[in-house]
Amino acid sequence: MPQLNPSPWLLILLFSWLILLTTVFPKIMRHRFTNEPATQATKKHHPTPWNWPWH
Amino acid sequence: MTLSFFDQFSLTAFMGIPLIALALTLPWILYPTPQNRCLNNRLLTLQAWFIRQLTHQLFLPINPGGHKWALLLASVLIFLITLNLLGILPYTFTPTTQLSMNMGLAVPLWLATVLIGARHQPTHSLAHLLPVGTPTPLIPILIMIETISQFIRPIALGVRLTANLTAGHLLIQLISTAAFYLAFTMPTVSILTMGLLLLLSILELAVAIIQAYVFVLLVSLYLQESV
Repeated sequence: MPQLNPSPWLLILLFSWLILLTTVFPKIMRHRFTNEPATQATKKHHPTPWNWPWH
Repeated sequence: MTLSFFDQFSLTAFMGIPLIALALTLPWILYPTPQNRCLNNRLLTLQAWFIRQLTHQLFLPINPGGHKWALLLASVLIFLITLNLLGILPYTFTPTTQLSMNMGLAVPLWLATVLIGARHQPTHSLAHLLPVGTPTPLIPILIMIETISQFIRPIALGVRLTANLTAGHLLIQLISTAAFYLAFTMPTVSILTMGLLLLLSILELAVAIIQAYVFVLLVSLYLQESV
């Protein structure tokens, strides 16, 4: 399959990672998810927010 | 004649701009960036719902220490699903048919899971090379086999995605060519071939989604072993 072994291998690799890093990660990261509303009082449990943990 | 069917995967350029650059940059218009609003519009709500469900499902079997990979794996999943699905539309270029891109995604992700395991829990990671309950004489051979299988993982990851998508696109082109040329000589057979083409297109739709999911799922499995 000659078309699957062309010369710009490195460029394609770098460009796809560049698009991932600059465009896709920020878009996904801006999505914030709220916890489900609970029927119990807040004194009983404090759910921790989940916001794309990084560390 | 056969080789000309592979022309759909060659890197063409239109007015000086390579098509792969367009295929990689333009799809993200379909995903609006959410602002800091409590209530979003329907499209954002749907996307947020899908992303949340997929990420939740993906990270259920992984220890909480591995949840820092959530952004990376969710983004790669959305990336691959979008590119695969848009490639099924006629006259579009599918970047995931390029082995360079898939290996560029597979090798770093796999290597990262291996290095994380080797750094934080080296004994536990090495223990994965030997399944529980192996008879003692088989241990050396099994260690070698498991090491080889460990190194084949990134190659398999990249080539699986490339081959599935390339084969799917190729089949669609072949069968549609057959249906077209048969329409002049044997119309009934041509209609049957068109029916086959319809089924194949539905299969391609499923394959596009599933292959992207399998890619990310396997990376999460490798992560599960290391974290």
